[in-house]
Amino acid sequence: MSLQDLGYALVQVAHNFGAVAIVGGAAFMLFMAPQPGSMQRKFAWLVGLGWGTQALSGMAFGAISYHYYGSFPDIHGIAIAALAVKMLCVASGLFLVALYLRYAGNWPDQRRHNAWLILFTLGAIALTSAAFLRWFS
Amino acid sequence: MRALGSLTVIFAFCCYVPLAIAAEDSVTITSPADGAMLNMAEQARIDYEVTRGPNGDHTHLYVDGKEKKVLRQLKGSHKLDPLEPGKHEICIKLVNKGHTPIGVQQCINVSVK
Repeated sequence: MSLQDLGYALVQVAHNFGAVAIVGGAAFMLFMAPQPGSMQRKFAWLVGLGWGTQALSGMAFGAISYHYYGSFPDIHGIAIAALAVKMLCVASGLFLVALYLRYAGNWPDQRRHNAWLILFTLGAIALTSAAFLRWFS
Repeated sequence: MRALGSLTVIFAFCCYVPLAIAAEDSVTITSPADGAMLNMAEQARIDYEVTRGPNGDHTHLYVDGKEKKVLRQLKGSHKLDPLEPGKHEICIKLVNKGHTPIGVQQCINVSVK
């Protein structure tokens, strides 16, 4: 086992758990019984942490490649589009979580529900894009 | 204690041998030959062979610096899109699982008339 493989694997672990947090956290708030405000806030932090982990681990993949080979992954076409979609989802997810943490205390239930629905959708889109990014280049 | 020593030797041997016999990463374009003259009327085909070592996973095919295809077979043949008359560079680069070129590649120059 090389350090390079270990590095990629550890970053992948973080990336996977980030994905679980963003989709699982939003799905729980969306589909399970309504939770009290304090619990919703904890889950918003969890989902936000997940989006942050996705961003940092995504950059770490590129950093490891650059460290060992002096270049970033060589991707084109569909893979570039998939990466752009993922980055857009990350930025949107982080922004929405920040809004939620700042203002959701005054939001009606329907608006909170919509926020979780959007967060869940962004997570699902990001996961779908990840598959295209992995298998196209 | 002796058993522990034996286990250590066996473990070291098992760890060492795969490294010692692991193949080196390599890419070979078997056809067309470097400098070949191709006929524009005939669809060009590129034949290649890849040996995956510790870092390589699959290959990317480039024509004039633009990626055209992901090649996942270790040995194969790929039909190229029609090439304009003139000189062209065809490269196959070995990349890792994350699509990063690992520095192992072969490039050939061909002329199309």
